[in-house]
Amino acid sequence: MQSFFRIIKFSFQDIARNVWLTIATITILLIALFSINILLTARVISDNAVVAVREKINISLYIKPDASDSEIMALKSQIAGSDKVKSVVYISKQDALESFRDKYKNDQAVLAALKELGRNPLSPSLTIVPKDFSQSENLINELRTIDSPIIESRDFSDNSVILSKINSITKRVNEVGMFLIAIFILTSLLVVYNAIRVAIYTHRQEIEIMRLVGASNFFIYMPYMVSAFVYALISILIVISVFYPFLSLLQPYLEAFFTGYNVNLLTYFVDNFSLIFGSQFLIVLLINVLASLFAVRKYAKV
Amino acid sequence: MITLHNVSKSYNKNQILRGINLRIEPGEFVSIVGQSGAGKTTMVKILIGEERVGTGQVAIGDWDITRISKKEIPYLRRQIGVIFQDFKLLPKKTLEENVSFALEVSGGTSAKIKKVVPSVMKIVGLEDKRRRYPNEVSGGEQQRTAIARALVHQPKILLADEPTGNLDAINANEIIDLLLRINKFGTTVILVTHNKDIVNRLNRRVVTMEQGQIISDQAHGKYLL
Repeated sequence: MQSFFRIIKFSFQDIARNVWLTIATITILLIALFSINILLTARVISDNAVVAVREKINISLYIKPDASDSEIMALKSQIAGSDKVKSVVYISKQDALESFRDKYKNDQAVLAALKELGRNPLSPSLTIVPKDFSQSENLINELRTIDSPIIESRDFSDNSVILSKINSITKRVNEVGMFLIAIFILTSLLVVYNAIRVAIYTHRQEIEIMRLVGASNFFIYMPYMVSAFVYALISILIVISVFYPFLSLLQPYLEAFFTGYNVNLLTYFVDNFSLIFGSQFLIVLLINVLASLFAVRKYAKV
Repeated sequence: MITLHNVSKSYNKNQILRGINLRIEPGEFVSIVGQSGAGKTTMVKILIGEERVGTGQVAIGDWDITRISKKEIPYLRRQIGVIFQDFKLLPKKTLEENVSFALEVSGGTSAKIKKVVPSVMKIVGLEDKRRRYPNEVSGGEQQRTAIARALVHQPKILLADEPTGNLDAINANEIIDLLLRINKFGTTVILVTHNKDIVNRLNRRVVTMEQGQIISDQAHGKYLL
């Protein structure tokens, strides 16, 4: 236990004596961590955007009001049989009316007009959900070829082009992000390695004496491992303390942009706190420990 | 007992030690003399595990250290105290802290440090100056601090590599007297030097080296070269 406290003491002495080196190392780690979190934020936003656009994709066939249930079910089965279709939902006249009323419950003018009409003007419909949203255009083409006497009209408000653009941007952002993360990880490795190397250089006399008087290798390299741990811990704490206020600032803009959708970045980062920052801490710690081990082995001859 | 059996060592193509055979009994005081490049320091480095032998065998008591592993070296160094010409003290630590440091980094308990450090400081006569920094005391006192540090593990062997090289005659004699006193307690002392006056004054065993070989081994010897 006393050895453990001595190791901690030596480590903090190292950090304090090389304060500028400590600041430089932590700064590089912070840049890497910020990049990762910005990328993660972009990913969450794009995922939400994709969901929002998907909800806008409406592939519906409107059925003539006089069509019998058996005819409708036969058509439903025919469409559901396609390998491009995930599901087919039948919305009856009554369901459509209730949904309409619910949608416009705050719009008295629309509700009054509906009442004025005195009957249900809406048609039953089949809403089709594609298996793969990027292939929705093919599905629409297939639906166009269906020749059924009960189909009153077809509504294919297709947003697949926007969707594919979002997918493409997301993919590109991920690719560039991964490249940036790889560069930052490599840079962090080199910077930490260099920081420990300089720390060893400034303590070369101390290390030489330690070896001379019979200090165990564990005692020689452990202070540098503790320093690596402290670098990782300080970096992650700074990232957490800066990133949450940043998300709070960003949130109102996101809410304005995704009106009607539940896009809450802050909640996402709070709900996944342990996973996001725990894994980032472990990765940074691993990088630091590896860099320190290499530096100590090479320069302290341990 | 220290045994070197047919020990040779070379760097690149330069042969530094050639077939060294030496046996030092427990409690002996042995001076190893020779000119620069004779191989004295290489022999010291082999004894503390800093260098490995090319061929031959080295043993400390029953412990064959010829192929000593990295893990075992710290244990070897706790059994052999070493002092050097340049003292190797940490300038930002007091004399007492320099001595404590040896125990701290080898896992000594606080209780042991409190007990051992004052006693070794007393042996080397520095109990009054223990709170001073190395630059506040003389070279002789710095070397005495290094000796105190070497003694904290209560080693069976004390290796002194040119301990008087940086000292004037008075301080040098004081250090030699201290080494003799430590030897009286039963510690084997190996003094590596090329100080003729000291070797001749000691009148103890003298091993003379030249070009990596032992050319003379006298029980009560003089400086030959």
